[in-house]
Amino acid sequence: MKYASQKVAYWFFASALLLFVLQLVYGFIMGFAHIGMDGLHQWIPFNTARAVHTNLLVFWLLLGFMGAAYFIIPEEADCELWSVKLAYIQLVAFLVTGTTALVGYHLNIWEGRKFLEIPRPLDYLVVIDVLAFLLNVGMTIMRGKRYTTTSLVLYMGLLFAALLYLPGMITFDNQTMDSFYRWWVVHLWVEGVWELIMGGILCYLLIKLTGVDRELVEKWLYIIVGLTFLSGILGTGHHYYYIGTPRYWLIIGGIFSALEPLAFLGMAIYALAMAKKGGRKHPNRIALTWSLGCAIMACVGAGFLGIAHTIPQVNMYTHGTLVTAMHAHLAFWGAYAMIVLAIMAYAMPLLTGRKLWDSPVATWAFWTSNIGMSAMTGAFAVAGITQVALERRMGMDFLAVQHEIEMHFVGLLLAASLFTIGILLFIWNFLRHGLPSDEAIGANIEGLPVGE
Amino acid sequence: MLSKSQAKIFFLGGTGVFSAAFIALTIDTHRKVPAQTRQENITPAVSAGKRIWEDNNCMGCHTLFGEGAYYAPELTKAVERRGKPWLRLFLKDPEAMFPNDRKMVNYHFNDGQIEEVIAFLEWCGNVDLNGFPAKPPLAAKMAASSSTPVVTSKPIPPIFDAMACTGCHALGGKGGAAGVALGAPPLDDVYKRKSKAEILAWVADPAKVKPDTKMPKLPLTPEQLNEIAEFLSSLGN
Repeated sequence: MKYASQKVAYWFFASALLLFVLQLVYGFIMGFAHIGMDGLHQWIPFNTARAVHTNLLVFWLLLGFMGAAYFIIPEEADCELWSVKLAYIQLVAFLVTGTTALVGYHLNIWEGRKFLEIPRPLDYLVVIDVLAFLLNVGMTIMRGKRYTTTSLVLYMGLLFAALLYLPGMITFDNQTMDSFYRWWVVHLWVEGVWELIMGGILCYLLIKLTGVDRELVEKWLYIIVGLTFLSGILGTGHHYYYIGTPRYWLIIGGIFSALEPLAFLGMAIYALAMAKKGGRKHPNRIALTWSLGCAIMACVGAGFLGIAHTIPQVNMYTHGTLVTAMHAHLAFWGAYAMIVLAIMAYAMPLLTGRKLWDSPVATWAFWTSNIGMSAMTGAFAVAGITQVALERRMGMDFLAVQHEIEMHFVGLLLAASLFTIGILLFIWNFLRHGLPSDEAIGANIEGLPVGE
Repeated sequence: MLSKSQAKIFFLGGTGVFSAAFIALTIDTHRKVPAQTRQENITPAVSAGKRIWEDNNCMGCHTLFGEGAYYAPELTKAVERRGKPWLRLFLKDPEAMFPNDRKMVNYHFNDGQIEEVIAFLEWCGNVDLNGFPAKPPLAAKMAASSSTPVVTSKPIPPIFDAMACTGCHALGGKGGAAGVALGAPPLDDVYKRKSKAEILAWVADPAKVKPDTKMPKLPLTPEQLNEIAEFLSSLGN
């Protein structure tokens, strides 16, 4: 690590991992409910578990992105963070706001709009908090000695993510319009600006880990995020097929969603090509493994499993079934969870000065979690496809079908256990690094030539 | 090959063009949605129903317009599928309607709130969703060949006709018309939910098991009772 203020990233990462574990707990509650073991129903009904599970995901990923920004931006801008104090205040405030929302979900207090369940007063606190974060990072970039494309793209991603939170706060009496603007947030986040954030972090990691010339890596970053927006903005249309919006969205959504995998494919090819091109043997192999794994799993989960059901004729039958859960799990894992874990794997040795990158635990964490998540995706796929065939194609009753597919949820729970072991191994390795240390400032623990 | 500045122009230009297109389409959508969704039918009751829908995060289990969670049924056509009397009964005590099955929270709605929820769902059911949800394309074929796993092909004992059981309950793919609005379930898979003893107790005196049931107590001899329970619980074999 180059600057003392980068240490703040550690606390964002640690909080993110804590919330991640909590997210898994609520995932298990839902998995068990699906096989009829709903003993917690009285205290944590399914809608609570579901809201907590998805909100925790967003919550910990945002913390991960913020941590990543606090680690990357001082180094890219070549100066200390504008205000370390503000970063800590903003972290605590974010945690308090988020936790309050999560507690509220257990007391039937929410807005009841998928992914945006957080009640209105807390919405404002989130906005203020994110503005404080953007101010902090923005001021750092302004005062910095250099502007890089990487920090620019990362900052743009974070800024637009904040701006696009706002349409979700508009409400309508018409369910269709409500839904229309809900997707402005949800879709344009995950299939738009979050990809900028992911691209920015990936670009930074590739520059650091492969040693390929920055100009080249950043040029391709522009092309890939360009492709993302080119397909992703109008790709929002795939959420507008069947919610009461005009029919032309079927064509527009269909065409542009078909292009969406290109951005992810580009991202995967880009990461692999840069890794191959880079002659430098960086000692932190596991960080590179996470980075490449992220690009590949995002391509499979977000790209190809996405297009598997955004074709309008297919979506007519898969819309609102477990097929969506199949796509969503691998997409979020590949594109966003893995990029956050990748930056943690890269940053932790630098923050603490401890070289734990070739520990077997780190390798096991990667493979166990990825095999677990792939198996979970398989279980969701089989359950989802069976549901589509029996309920949507043959017209069987919803609950009868749910009983038919219970067995696949047993498979899901087994796969999820494997995944959880992987995540716990990752966290154990994270904790073994200990706390960030001032001794790590300026220490070249990677043994790399000076400069980039 | 592209230079870095050309790549930047591609990114910024592309983003600008497609954002503009998206905003133009959004404006057009705003103009067309009121007619497509029959916005004029959004009465205060519909709006109140929507608020109840949101305040209780119904989307956390159900889907509506195919959006939500996948733990409970899609509700866009709920009014058409079940009818209002069934929904009224169900919302009063969801678990009673599906005992020993997946649970729904009982929100203790009063009669007015129940009507509001139903009004909201009815409005949703009349929105033009570009054909969603599609009629199950294989349903007719399955009924014709009667080979769906749920529908039994065993010969139905005459007692079922004599007591008009099949008037309310579907069995073997026929009957059930009168029971749709009352929520009388098909009997083909009753064995999954009820043991033989439970079926016996239920048919002997439904109100004893569920006080507000719509199912009548039928004048049955112990032999007839046993025949019904025996047949229904044998359907799983």
